[in-house]
Amino acid sequence: MDIVFQLLFQGIGIGSVYALVALGFVLIFRATNVVNFAQGEFSMVAAFLMVIFSVDLEWPYWISFLLSLGGMAIYGALFNLGVYFPLRHRTYLPVIISTIGASILVSNSTLALYGPQPQVLQPLLDFPGFNIGTVYLDAQYLLIIGVTVVLVAFQYWFFEHTLLGKKLQATSQDKEMASLLGIPVATMIMLTFVYSAMIGGLAGIMVAPILFVSIHMGGTIALKAFAATIIGGFGDVAGAIIGGLALGVIETFGAAYVSVPYKDGFAFLVLVAFLVFRPQGIFGERVAEKA
Amino acid sequence: MTNFTRRSFTSALALGVAAPAFLRNASAQSPTIKIGQVVPITGPAAEAGKYAMAGAKIALDEINKKGGILGKQVEIITEDDQTTNPGAVLAFSKLATNPEIVAFVTSIRSTQVHAMAPDIAKIAKPTMFGGTDPTLTKLGNPWLFRCRPNDTFSGKVIAEFGVKELGLKKWGIVHSTDAFGTNGMKALEASLLALGVTPVAIQGYANQSQDFTPVVLALKQAGIDIISSYFTFENDLGIFARQLRQLGVNAPWVGSPSIVNTTAIKLAGPALNNTYGVADYAEESSPEAKAFADSYRAMMKVAPDNQSSWTYDGMHLLALAFNKAGKTDPDAVRAAMLSIKGYKGAEGEYNFDANGDGLHGYNVVKNVGGKIEFAKHIEFPA
Repeated sequence: MDIVFQLLFQGIGIGSVYALVALGFVLIFRATNVVNFAQGEFSMVAAFLMVIFSVDLEWPYWISFLLSLGGMAIYGALFNLGVYFPLRHRTYLPVIISTIGASILVSNSTLALYGPQPQVLQPLLDFPGFNIGTVYLDAQYLLIIGVTVVLVAFQYWFFEHTLLGKKLQATSQDKEMASLLGIPVATMIMLTFVYSAMIGGLAGIMVAPILFVSIHMGGTIALKAFAATIIGGFGDVAGAIIGGLALGVIETFGAAYVSVPYKDGFAFLVLVAFLVFRPQGIFGERVAEKA
Repeated sequence: MTNFTRRSFTSALALGVAAPAFLRNASAQSPTIKIGQVVPITGPAAEAGKYAMAGAKIALDEINKKGGILGKQVEIITEDDQTTNPGAVLAFSKLATNPEIVAFVTSIRSTQVHAMAPDIAKIAKPTMFGGTDPTLTKLGNPWLFRCRPNDTFSGKVIAEFGVKELGLKKWGIVHSTDAFGTNGMKALEASLLALGVTPVAIQGYANQSQDFTPVVLALKQAGIDIISSYFTFENDLGIFARQLRQLGVNAPWVGSPSIVNTTAIKLAGPALNNTYGVADYAEESSPEAKAFADSYRAMMKVAPDNQSSWTYDGMHLLALAFNKAGKTDPDAVRAAMLSIKGYKGAEGEYNFDANGDGLHGYNVVKNVGGKIEFAKHIEFPA
């Protein structure tokens, strides 16, 4: 039984990371109707910013953390201006290609600037974790789960109870109508990119002490997060969270009870199963309709 | 196009078929001797690629200072393998089209050497490699020369050390499911069986895993008292090492060479304290290894490991074989390479056997607080 709890904890922990990145996917998808394939690089860039500030410059952890998130806000804005904005009147395809191009450009630029060496980022908390019975709870994973819960609550409050949140929702539902009602659509989309980059960055900073900081760290996570958004229902915030958590748990249990080498396979098997039998995901609309 | 007759087509075809033979000897006219190096400049192994290039560069400078190869200065032409098999094949093909390149130094990754092997056989020029999958020198490809001991030896040394020195019998093996990891595991399992020990748990994992909890729990459940590992990438090793200790598994650990390389020690930190590793390169194992370490530190400002020592030896062995052969003819160089006996390199003493394996022993080293200490060298007859 202890093993089941240990696997469950680990699955929810890694699933929370997928959920955070999936959240970033969904927000941009809702605002622009395109999938941002550079979402994984948001996590990678933030983790590298954290290494620059806290490891290389040896600035205090919290200042480095705030600076990195601030850096991600600027990065999100620049990403919007450079990758999405010039193509905003085109169909979704050129924008998707543009995000793939940006993903390659950013990871290779980071490689050129910072070199290939994986970096170690210390965790925020000094103690590594503790045992409840024989189940070990890793402090960093606990932090990740906690931050995910807080962010989800914040997001619910923000989108449902603030004027800015409602404007963002209106923009994602119908840009023309929102524009007629006097909502500055371009600014709203810009804000979505900024927020999405910060969430993706946060996921990157949180997971970096566990997975190390390298230019490849965002790739696999983003792919899993993408699968999570489809499982949850593309464009649905709650779906992304549930999808991410489900994926983390499924792959951890699949690895433990079926096969470790095919761990990644389970995630994509579930994805394929959803695409065949329930393409709209748990909560959302059909992908085909959105695309 | 209208003048393209059957005769000209046949001539072009004949020229195409004969071209490799001309290309093989075209290097004689070149003002320098060119050696092609396939190395990861991008991708997950880019870090290791930097070390591999540094090792080759140190050897290059030493060779050129001593008069080069056949009286000509030597130069290295590098191509990026992108840490992928298709990338390695592409990089090798690009180098192979340059007729001035007389020999190659390729990959430390067995899976990539497997991918390149058919092209290496086709171009038929001496090729040094560092992959330790034992099957690579048994492919019937006469152009492959290994500059590291293969995993038959690492498996034998790990098994001997764990069973005889540490006296432990309940083995858990963790291995990558790529060619290197799987064949390493098989070699270790065979060595253990030969010593009368059947492993109680064998766990494979796919490279670039983010979580090893299921693997660690399986080892725990099996009640292992010793762990052995074949990890391909250091970040996987780092994540596994930390989770292993967090989940309370403190059994002795004797790993394949990646456990003692610089990046792995940096990433895993104290989680690797008191682990043993078989290391083809150990700084304190010989005066030649120490001399290489001094040159490497002066250039790179970090401690050397096997990523650089084998390319260093590979370059020197090529220079030795070419100078011994007295010409760039690949067949003559191959014969000269196979006749090398007792050459003391950074990795150890080279005695090439008929398969192209240069080394036949391993060092056992211990990680003491992040510092690698030489324990003993175990050598097997060639």
